[in-house]
Amino acid sequence: MSEPKKVLIIDDDPDFVSALEALFNSSGCEVRSAVNGKDGLVLAKSYGPDLILLDVMMTERTEGFFTLQEIRRSPGLARTPVIVISSIYAEQPIFRVSPEAGWLPANLFLPKPVDPGRLLEEARRLMETAPAQVGPSASGRRER
Amino acid sequence: MPVVSSGSQNTIPRKDNLVIVIDDDEIMRLSCQQILVKAGYKVETFGNGHEGIRRIRQARPPLLVVDIKMPELDGFEVINLVRQIDLDLVIVVITGYATIETAVDAMKAGAYDFLPKPFTPSELRLIIDRGHERWRLTKETQRLRREKKEVEHKFVTLVTHQLKAPLVAVKQYLDVLLYSFRDQLPEKGLEWVIRSQVRLGEMLTIIQDWLALAKIDRGSFCDRSATTDIASLVTEIIGDQQQPPGSNDIMIKAELAPNLPGVGGDSVSIGMVVSNLVSNAVKYNRPGGTVTVEVTPDQEFVNMKVKDTGIGIPEDQLPRIFEEFYRVRTQETQDIPGTGLGLVICKRVITDLGGTIEIESRAGEGTTFIVRLPVAGRKAVPEARSLRETTPGENK
Repeated sequence: MSEPKKVLIIDDDPDFVSALEALFNSSGCEVRSAVNGKDGLVLAKSYGPDLILLDVMMTERTEGFFTLQEIRRSPGLARTPVIVISSIYAEQPIFRVSPEAGWLPANLFLPKPVDPGRLLEEARRLMETAPAQVGPSASGRRER
Repeated sequence: MPVVSSGSQNTIPRKDNLVIVIDDDEIMRLSCQQILVKAGYKVETFGNGHEGIRRIRQARPPLLVVDIKMPELDGFEVINLVRQIDLDLVIVVITGYATIETAVDAMKAGAYDFLPKPFTPSELRLIIDRGHERWRLTKETQRLRREKKEVEHKFVTLVTHQLKAPLVAVKQYLDVLLYSFRDQLPEKGLEWVIRSQVRLGEMLTIIQDWLALAKIDRGSFCDRSATTDIASLVTEIIGDQQQPPGSNDIMIKAELAPNLPGVGGDSVSIGMVVSNLVSNAVKYNRPGGTVTVEVTPDQEFVNMKVKDTGIGIPEDQLPRIFEEFYRVRTQETQDIPGTGLGLVICKRVITDLGGTIEIESRAGEGTTFIVRLPVAGRKAVPEARSLRETTPGENK
């Protein structure tokens, strides 16, 4: 049996985190979380997640965007799929941005509150299509 | 040189009391200066229009006294040029041949008042004092309007963000509860969670609409310089709304002309218009009804019709549907949820983007919204911006 996928949630709202944690746990993923961008980045480096869920407006207004840029600059995380989940996008069309687009290198933006079915589907798709990780966390976890 | 007034004019603040006098006649310049300095103004005089205008650009004075008949630039030309620099500058025109026509022309060009030669010192003083008061009130009004907008915006942003965060967290719990733990809920619990979710959703929509309106009013919502591919936007939104809401089995279809030009405006604002109109057309429809979104090019514009076969709007209520919080009231609309802000948002976004929205409706037969949006890259419609100043409810 393959190891569970690892999901990292970076969001300063503990209730939002615990809701999503339950969602991903119940679909067989392992979840860890951080309440700010700085801790999130440190954790991302040591944890080596298959997917990162990131909020934009944390303690600092646009903290998420800077965190995202830091993530992309880290060798082990540069290709890790990131879904930005933020209430600033609520009720608006869903944005898709290529990871190569330097200004906002997230794979997907979803509005908050997020539709659980939609999130799991997108998460699955991103984790399947993501290229193999370079870095210590990559070995032996990929299903294909 | 500025001289502090002795007595009567002490209400004029030391700053902002500069009067520029432009007249080719030196005697006239000197006497104006004398009279006005005595009245407490700072006065600078210029023998020709170019120098005077240069000084106005630099000093931004409240008042200008200008002669009509001058060699080189005449008074009208001066008025036209300074109007481009400062719209609030109060201009008083001096004219030697006081005909009604000259006066009317000067006022049309943007002068505040005119003074026929010869005039007495007190006539000049009176007119300048009045003009100065007018300038002061204009500035004061502008300042208050700015402050009011600022306070309103801060309030709306604060309230909405603080209201929104807890609601989002609660809704997220309920969403996950229903998705992942549905089987573990007792029957009553399931029913109540679903109801709570619906009610929370309504509240979130109100907050979102309110926030969007505040942003539109501030001019920070629509991006006119962006371009939107309306065909794919409509297709995407129709896809999102296709699931039958409740039991109503309504078909949504798009009729898109081929090779539509890009529409001027960002996809978020235009998407808000499309999804509001489509969701209205679905909500106010009848079981088995259809919603048709038809998009066609029309010279410099793109026309979008959102047509439904629904319950329609009674004629007497039509004029009010773009009012804030107004909702059509008939027997059939009682149970339809809504904030009464959707159409207000549509109208403001469309106006902001330089377009128009019209409505055709017949009670019992259905409603059609006709939206006209300018093609991207087309020169912006200037009057669109001033419409933002309209107060709520005024925008019919």
